[in-house]
Amino acid sequence: MSSKIDLSVIIPVTERHDDMEELYREYKSAVEKTGRVFEFLFVLDGPFPDVENQLNALKENGEVLKVIKLAKWFGEATALKIGFENTSGELIMTLPAYQQVDSSELSRLVNLIENQDMIIARRWPRKDSAFNRLQSRVFNFLMRVQTGVELHDLGCSVRVLRRKVINEVQIYGDLHRFLPVLANRYGFKVHEEKTAQSNKDVFQRVYSSGLYVRRLFDILSVMFLIKFTKKPLRFFGLLGMGTIFLGGILTAYLVMERLFFDISLADRPALMISSLFVVLGAQILAIGLIGEIVIFTHSKDLKEYTIEEIIN
Amino acid sequence: MNARRVPLYNEYECVERMYKALVNALDPLNLDFEIIFVDDGSVDDTYKIARTLSVADPRLRVIKFRRNYGQTPAMAAGIDNARGKVLVTMDGDLQNDPTDIPRFLSKINEGFDIVVGWRHKRQDKLVSRKIPSKIANWIIGKVTGVPVKDNGCSLKAYRRELIQKIPLYSDMHRFIPAMASLSGARIAEIKVKHHSRVFGESKYGLWRIYKVLIDLLSIKTIVSFASRPLIWFGILSSIAMGASLLAFIYWLMMPVPGPTESLMVIMGVSMLYGCLGLFLLLSGVLCELIYKTGDNKIEDLSKLTIERQS
Repeated sequence: MSSKIDLSVIIPVTERHDDMEELYREYKSAVEKTGRVFEFLFVLDGPFPDVENQLNALKENGEVLKVIKLAKWFGEATALKIGFENTSGELIMTLPAYQQVDSSELSRLVNLIENQDMIIARRWPRKDSAFNRLQSRVFNFLMRVQTGVELHDLGCSVRVLRRKVINEVQIYGDLHRFLPVLANRYGFKVHEEKTAQSNKDVFQRVYSSGLYVRRLFDILSVMFLIKFTKKPLRFFGLLGMGTIFLGGILTAYLVMERLFFDISLADRPALMISSLFVVLGAQILAIGLIGEIVIFTHSKDLKEYTIEEIIN
Repeated sequence: MNARRVPLYNEYECVERMYKALVNALDPLNLDFEIIFVDDGSVDDTYKIARTLSVADPRLRVIKFRRNYGQTPAMAAGIDNARGKVLVTMDGDLQNDPTDIPRFLSKINEGFDIVVGWRHKRQDKLVSRKIPSKIANWIIGKVTGVPVKDNGCSLKAYRRELIQKIPLYSDMHRFIPAMASLSGARIAEIKVKHHSRVFGESKYGLWRIYKVLIDLLSIKTIVSFASRPLIWFGILSSIAMGASLLAFIYWLMMPVPGPTESLMVIMGVSMLYGCLGLFLLLSGVLCELIYKTGDNKIEDLSKLTIERQS
């Protein structure tokens, strides 16, 4: 490929994937419509022999595509990161290895990026089951409340973004899902576009209970990342001081009763509770202090602002 | 070369007046200077106006943030990008008077590392702003051991080499003198003029008081103990151990319980506090480890002031 690539299409392949050949053909014809010079990269997150075979077959048929295979399961964020590092396009489109949105919509999404830094697809109207819609609704609602960023479909991994976004926003673990939220917090212009849902995306998804718990922790960690990363003591301080305050008041009350009303202190179970609260609160505060020392010792690497432009 | 920087946020009425006041104050000094405006993600015309001004005057530099980050990051960005030997920071809302700047420069020339402004005739409401700020400054001085009368005054001057090495994050702008004391910086304080705010409204509230108090606790941890956290946690631990011991003595002094009584509770309380003491001590050990592996070392900061004291 001699000409410069405008658009890099990255497809992380995970547990859930459709037939690669059909998927690739659909994606390719959609991307061709944008009129940009593009490249395709599949990142296999672990061994998927069937996918590998299909992709190899495509290659033998003369299709130009890159495949990177990770030795084990690292998670989608890692797969995406490796994808970003191994592509060169100024524009990046990430697509799921299964059809989430109607592929005829893809070129429209790419063209929307003109005045934006990131376009994310929102499947609308939803065609899948009521249960799917409900769980997606609840999850996205909680995220909106926590982060204050107005996005409605973080589960949709059809996204178009400029390379500068991923150069600044670090993702790891399960954070790829929240890339739009984080990008927004970095001051990038993120636009959500209603996109027709693919007919193949329509089936009932019930996840294991462990996954729901993980999502809940995701929400917590994003909240913490956004609000308190640089000031852990503000978070732990509120919790810790509140708890100490409760315990302290109760202890003081019990001591008063002992001093002035001669009610015995040493064998009152209430004293145990009040002491527990004080101890717990002090531990929470101590964790906050540890956090502050962590931040201080690494403050050189933590730049808190993002600059759009410097004149002169 | 001197540089001064001004954080701006939605104060577009001020930009032009600020610029003119600065140029008027600086031109007679015959200095090679630059002015840096930091546009903290404003949504009005601030940036456009600043931009037009900077086209006409190459000495004016404008840094535009992608979004609103707040005062400390704006200050940090200005400091990181400044090129002058001396930096002067001030608010963008015309509360500070640029004609004070020459006095700051002469103080720096006297050999001080940081010169802090003190708004001794503050043009603000007494109850809602002046009294809380007095109390806050007194507490900050006591806790950090750096008695500055007016930490909230943005008009300050620094030697660039020093201030660029001082960690500045979160809402630390209020504690710059305290942070700088980590390096043994010499701090001077001079009286400055203060104008009441012409435009805009400033806010104070419960949440802000909480933030200042909590930040104070963390700044205390950092300034006094970052290089030896075990001692700090040791002090906290000994308080818990003291409580544990008290409860234990109380238990010892209790008469032998009758058949229906029990002294389990007080013994339990003693143990609880004992556990807390141990936990805190171990936290200190953990912090030693963190400090050792971190890359912000107080020993390095000491080099910033060493040659000047010999």
